[in-house]
Amino acid sequence: MKIDLSRFQAAFFEESAEHVTTMEEGLLQLERRPDDLDLINRIFRAAHSIKGNSGMFKLTAITEFTHLLENLLDQLRTGQRTLTKPVMDALLESTDGLKHLIEAAKTGEAHDEGRIAILRERLTGGAVHIEAPPVAAVHSPRASRRVKIEWTPGPTLFQRGLDPVQIVKELEHVGRVQTILRGLEALPALADLDPERCYLAWTFVLDTAESDQTIAEVFEFVREDSQIVMEADAALVCPSIACDSVTPAVPTGTSVPSRSTATGDVPPAMVPNPAGPVAKKSDGASIRVDTEKIDKLINLVGELVITQSMLSQLGNHFESPDLPVLQERLAQLERNTREIQERVMSIRMLPVAMVFNKFPRVVRDLAAKSGKDIQLILAGEETELDKTVIESIGDPLTHLIRNAADHALESPEERLALGKPAQGTVRLSAYQEGGNIYISVQDDGRGLNRDKIVAKARASGIIGPDEQLSDEQVWLLIFRAGFSTAEKVTEVSGRGVGMDVVRRNIEGLGGTIAIKTEAGQGTTFLLKLPLTLAIVEGMAVRVGSETYLVPLLSIIESLQPSAGAVKTIVGKGQVINVRGLYIPIVRLYEAFHLEADHTEPTQAILIIVETESERVALMVDELLGQQQVVIKNLEQNFHKVDGIAGATILGDGTVGFIVDVRGMLAISRGVAVAA
Amino acid sequence: MKVEDAGHSRNGSKTLSEANQYLTFMLGEELYGVDILRVQEIKGYQKCTPIPNTPVFIKGVLNLRGTIVPIVDLRAKFNLPPVEATMFTVVIVVVVKDRIMGLIVDAVSEVMDIPSADIQPAPMLGTNVDVSFISGLGRCADRLITILNIDHVLSLEELLQVGSTSEETETVQA
Amino acid sequence: MSKTVLIVDDSATMRQMVNFTLTGAGFTVVEAGDGADAVKKLTAGTKPNLVITDLNMPNMDGISLIKEIRKMGTLKFTPILMLTTESTDDKKKEGQAAGATGWIVKPFNPEQMLKVIAKVLPS
Repeated sequence: MKIDLSRFQAAFFEESAEHVTTMEEGLLQLERRPDDLDLINRIFRAAHSIKGNSGMFKLTAITEFTHLLENLLDQLRTGQRTLTKPVMDALLESTDGLKHLIEAAKTGEAHDEGRIAILRERLTGGAVHIEAPPVAAVHSPRASRRVKIEWTPGPTLFQRGLDPVQIVKELEHVGRVQTILRGLEALPALADLDPERCYLAWTFVLDTAESDQTIAEVFEFVREDSQIVMEADAALVCPSIACDSVTPAVPTGTSVPSRSTATGDVPPAMVPNPAGPVAKKSDGASIRVDTEKIDKLINLVGELVITQSMLSQLGNHFESPDLPVLQERLAQLERNTREIQERVMSIRMLPVAMVFNKFPRVVRDLAAKSGKDIQLILAGEETELDKTVIESIGDPLTHLIRNAADHALESPEERLALGKPAQGTVRLSAYQEGGNIYISVQDDGRGLNRDKIVAKARASGIIGPDEQLSDEQVWLLIFRAGFSTAEKVTEVSGRGVGMDVVRRNIEGLGGTIAIKTEAGQGTTFLLKLPLTLAIVEGMAVRVGSETYLVPLLSIIESLQPSAGAVKTIVGKGQVINVRGLYIPIVRLYEAFHLEADHTEPTQAILIIVETESERVALMVDELLGQQQVVIKNLEQNFHKVDGIAGATILGDGTVGFIVDVRGMLAISRGVAVAA
Repeated sequence: MKVEDAGHSRNGSKTLSEANQYLTFMLGEELYGVDILRVQEIKGYQKCTPIPNTPVFIKGVLNLRGTIVPIVDLRAKFNLPPVEATMFTVVIVVVVKDRIMGLIVDAVSEVMDIPSADIQPAPMLGTNVDVSFISGLGRCADRLITILNIDHVLSLEELLQVGSTSEETETVQA
Repeated sequence: MSKTVLIVDDSATMRQMVNFTLTGAGFTVVEAGDGADAVKKLTAGTKPNLVITDLNMPNMDGISLIKEIRKMGTLKFTPILMLTTESTDDKKKEGQAAGATGWIVKPFNPEQMLKVIAKVLPS
């Protein structure tokens, strides 16, 4: 029966990716602590694991390449090689090469042999010596013959868990066996018998057509401390077998071959980390779970929350002597449900470190390329985010960090001339506050240049020649598509295709991005993200007979305007004056073709919402209260509708729509909403 | 009422010549039919949440055990004058490719066995319904059943139409 | 009653593959992530009929684990197989000196593993 292990390939690729990450992180740390033996061992083990497992799937390119990495790492830990910069570069780039090989194997595409060949040279210092894989022994069957085997095991046979009966059983698979017991004369009296010691020996007479090699393999594990004498017809392969004529052998007792002890002394250069091995959190007990299972579970919990809230609503309308008890029990149900929900959501939460971890390498490479001295400080890596958010946050953060390294930070000479330390700092930190996660990317570089931005915006026609803008409005210009004040377009950034995508990504996650900057001092980008995507905190509002939800994250405030605050601007509709700022009014009943109670802003409620750092006032009839709702997909059975971000099931079982604030903004500008 | 136990895969793409059973329903005086394998269930009529900026024949959405299901008013889709819902008005929940949608009909009739021999192709003219919506005309016990091509009636292109079809008919008549 | 095998390896993929192979062959499999984890499980009461262990692991490597197991009274004579990537004699000798019964060389195909197990485990 052929057992097929190919189903484990996915697990292998996943595990190998983790090992490669371990190697890369370890190598970067090793750069700062080159004598840390535990660290090297950890990196070695990761490479060794990949090598061992890749062989199981016959991924020879990976096996051979990892073997070279292993060799170099081994030389480092035994002190044969020292960790110089070229060696470190070779190791890091080979880790990249390994990533590439793994990816190629995963997708089934051919790998870049040229690149790997170059890395191979660097790893081996030119002496490319690929060990030939161990050649499996060839078993050539022979004509049936009689072989006599005298086996005298060492006394410690049992203590290695070996059982002579097994040997006999195996021989019986090889041919017909006659067993003759020997050594009975050497047995001591029963009282002196050590039950853990092997006193006996055997002679086997074997009729077989199998090869000598096959016979020898039966004794493979016992050969080390046994005496085996085999008489056969032809030349023998095993070293301890002699061609003697057989005489009833007197067991000569133990002939334990002396074992050379590997001293394996540690070269003085390498010492175990005095602080003890740095244990990774992932060494704790854990199980892998299919994300599909988790998603389904989260959906179910969402349904549970809805059902529970429907029950609660119902419970408010009952007339019954049991009502107080019912309400108390419903309240208990609500508490239980909330807790289940929190715990289930937390299953999918992962520490931001998963994303932060790739940046030390990114910064190192950027610094090297630009000739700048850059320090990356990470803080709050253990802050947790929903997995889906983590997966999407990598690209925008990478872009921001690249900008910081490439454009914001000055060269060491420039910095010294300015009285700053030669080393520039980029600080990436995450923290949780309220129901949101904040991630900030901060640099101590040049800061945004107001004049340059305004000039560029004027030149591109984004703003009029005489338009006056506040500082805040100027900074937001950099988020426009195609905008960049970079003088040089480097390979890394400057093409102006980044910041608008960054903002769109963040807002697609339901978050916002804000800028703080000071000329000559530096810039900070602050990202605000919801803790999770599937659930939205919303303000339920009534427009006519319909209920809508406005995401709480976007709401600044709600008010009922006085007549004097509402102004009409020719060609632009009505606006409301809020503390000096004129905000356009969007009538939800118009946008959604409904019949509303109030058409006059002064009689209705205005909800001031903000997106893309612009504000809009949504006109509704009534505020119904805050609600936490599960977002349901409208596109699943229908298609995207302008102005609607999603749907949800309200407490009474009917469908409620979640307002797309960005869509509302577009409506107020009178433009079609971009896809 | 669920009709899942038809015994076949719900989304089976059987051609007209193989399908035999049809769920028939009334729109006004006319009898229509849909392939039974496409019907997931039949719900009593309930008020839907209207979707903004959608064609007139899209009545809104309903909550079907946690899934948001768009509901199509077939009378409006086929340009019939609107009527008040009665106790016979139902929503037939059908599966179109990988989407679930509901159809509002005046009343549901019965499941009929119509062998393919008794189905003629739809004539080019003379029907009140757009010809592309019709798979064929079936005859069963002296009654004429207009068999609908559900995939076409509820195709994405049809659903994405903004602006009512009544404008188009006016243009044609002019 | 099926026999119990304890598989010790820090690679989850390897453990899964061995588990799959052995369970399919009728064994009951217990997994441990490294030597220390294995010792924990053994002292907690796991009674394997066979132990298969990798050599290169964090927290306690294979050789040390083999020595530890041989110190445990009930497991003194339990067959222990090493999973090794080296076919050179050094590791085999070192393992045997520590008390290992035999070895399986990586990479192996599942049938080979079952054959070696049959060698050392009375069925």
